Amino acid sequence: MRTAIQALTVLLPSAYLLAAILHGMAFGGDRAPQVDRPRRIVLSVTLLLHLVCFVLRALVLGHFPVSDVWSTLSAVAMCAAGLFLVVARRSSGERSVAYAGTGGVVLGLVSLLQLIASAFGPTQLVARAGGMGTYQVLHVATSVLAAAALILSGVHGILYLLLYRQMRARRFGLLFAHLPDLDVLARMTRSSALSGFLFLTVGVNVGIAMAHAEKSEGFRYAQPEVLLSIVLWIHFGVIAFSRHIRGFSARRASFAAAGGLVALLLSLMLILFPGISFHSRL
Amino acid sequence: MDLALTLVGLSHRTAPLEVRERYVVSPADLTACLAAIAGIPGVQEAFVLSTCNRTEVLVVGEPGTDVAPALRAHLFRNLEDEVYVWSGVQALIHVFRVASGLDSMVVGESEVLGQMRRGFEAAQQARTLGRTLRPLLQQALHVGKRVRTETDVGQGTLSVARVAVDVAARVFGRFEGCRALIVGAGETGLLVARHLVDRGLVSPTFASRTQERAREAAAEFGGRAFGLEDLATLAGEADVVIACIDGTGVQLGPDTFDARTLRTRDRPVLAIDLSVPRAIDRAIVKKKNVLLYDLDDLQQVVQENRVGRGAAIEGSTEILVAELHKFLALRAYASFSPVIAAMRERFERVRDDVLDSVAGASTDKKDIELAHELSRKLLDVALDHMKEGARTTSSEEALDHEYRRFLERLGAEDPP
Repeated sequence: MRTAIQALTVLLPSAYLLAAILHGMAFGGDRAPQVDRPRRIVLSVTLLLHLVCFVLRALVLGHFPVSDVWSTLSAVAMCAAGLFLVVARRSSGERSVAYAGTGGVVLGLVSLLQLIASAFGPTQLVARAGGMGTYQVLHVATSVLAAAALILSGVHGILYLLLYRQMRARRFGLLFAHLPDLDVLARMTRSSALSGFLFLTVGVNVGIAMAHAEKSEGFRYAQPEVLLSIVLWIHFGVIAFSRHIRGFSARRASFAAAGGLVALLLSLMLILFPGISFHSRL
Repeated sequence: MDLALTLVGLSHRTAPLEVRERYVVSPADLTACLAAIAGIPGVQEAFVLSTCNRTEVLVVGEPGTDVAPALRAHLFRNLEDEVYVWSGVQALIHVFRVASGLDSMVVGESEVLGQMRRGFEAAQQARTLGRTLRPLLQQALHVGKRVRTETDVGQGTLSVARVAVDVAARVFGRFEGCRALIVGAGETGLLVARHLVDRGLVSPTFASRTQERAREAAAEFGGRAFGLEDLATLAGEADVVIACIDGTGVQLGPDTFDARTLRTRDRPVLAIDLSVPRAIDRAIVKKKNVLLYDLDDLQQVVQENRVGRGAAIEGSTEILVAELHKFLALRAYASFSPVIAAMRERFERVRDDVLDSVAGASTDKKDIELAHELSRKLLDVALDHMKEGARTTSSEEALDHEYRRFLERLGAEDPP
């Protein structure tokens, strides 16, 4: 079982990268029609393999398999790819080409996260002493789902800005022809931000409650990762409800989501640095 | 193939919008323009086609007279490279291609056929059509219909209006909750409304010079109707403004859109100007949260995305060459009319002379009928030979070659 986990850990970054490349090819270029089906198959198979790896880890560890920063990154990657697949499956026909473009960016980011997780994660699986409690699982699962949703929000925000700039500059090339329309991109940015905000609401509050209840050593609100998480929570909350805020246009929401994505990635990186991070000591 | 045709013009292929809009001939000026052209020495017949994408004049000149320089000087003074001149069979090919929508900005668009028909009616009223242009234009209209019916040209319901709505859809998707203002309730305005409504728009607003037309359009699409005096207010409230009106005296400028309102909008304002001359001041694009496109931008969209090109032109060459051949053969045969009339008269005179000299007044009724039948049959044989001669005057092979030469000169990217 451990060998299978190791093999899958090595395989996953390449598989996601292949899915990202195929999605990029399906978005434009001469081979677009030929790769339209393979890209869906590769992504579905990769996600299935990732899920198998996830379950195997749970069986080996004997608890929820997201128990360190590396497995957290991997879980974020899996959830982001999964959420993208759900969104892409709901679209059909012309819009599927549009989602191929979004997929190229989302899966590129996913493969990067998975690469970091696979490259720097421990080779030997060590179970946590005492396992993971229900609240801990809830905290981790909602935080991971939140991060995945916020990644989608940020990517859609970036694509909105790209398409808007192309349209302002009267460039009617590949992005203009194939990306989802501005309205859809704005909606995706906000709805993903809303999902991320709701998950993060649970994740952050459960995490803080747990830290207080367990009197966790080293926990302070001034911790960079805690501060950043709270800032991200407020930030994406504002984006989620920006439609009802006067003067907060779709373009501004997209700017904010793109900035939020950078902050989110920074937050994930902060978790990785031992010593700075409160989580890395857990 | 002796055809004293000359066509002088400019189009979206050769001239940008700011040039094209200076040379538009409005419907009100068309009769005077035709009369002026017909007054040019050497011009026998004249026809003018003026659309948002082209202004062309087609004339029949006196044989051996080059009327092109005079036409250029009269209509397109100070222009050089923007103006093209086609003559003889190549002018005929060009007219047939225009009617078929093959030379249009959006290949296969159907508006040009209606515009050509209106130009034909105007020229008939101005009495500038004659024995060459009348049948030529009638056949061009027939060719336009045939190409659209028998090839894929007419299948995509392509039009500038459709491209404009496609572009708008890149911003608004399904147009749900979108407020659209259509300036002008003419053919293009109605087409724009139809495409918008087909994609989910509810209650378009029409603003037109003639309120009656705006009301009719609004009734058809369940929208609202206004005159142009309310234009600034309506445009300020709209998410998408599509102008399809003669832009003379109609201007939506930067002042129409309040900067503060624009800043607070969730979606950008989209303005698409299909008018020639333009009705929307280009300066509005300097405002934040505003996207503006005109016909040249739509042409770029069409070119970059190859809207409908390949499928549209497939199979059209055969039809065009066959119709060119038919027209030239009919024309050659028609040129025999005086000869045929003279022959008929001569045959009848000879027959009557022979009957008189052989039998005089006592001719049997059966003999007279026999003589009539014989002369008629002999005349039919002669006419058949003449028809055959007319048919072979311009072989389809030669016309096919001529058509290829035309495309080479045109520099067509995708020869059909």
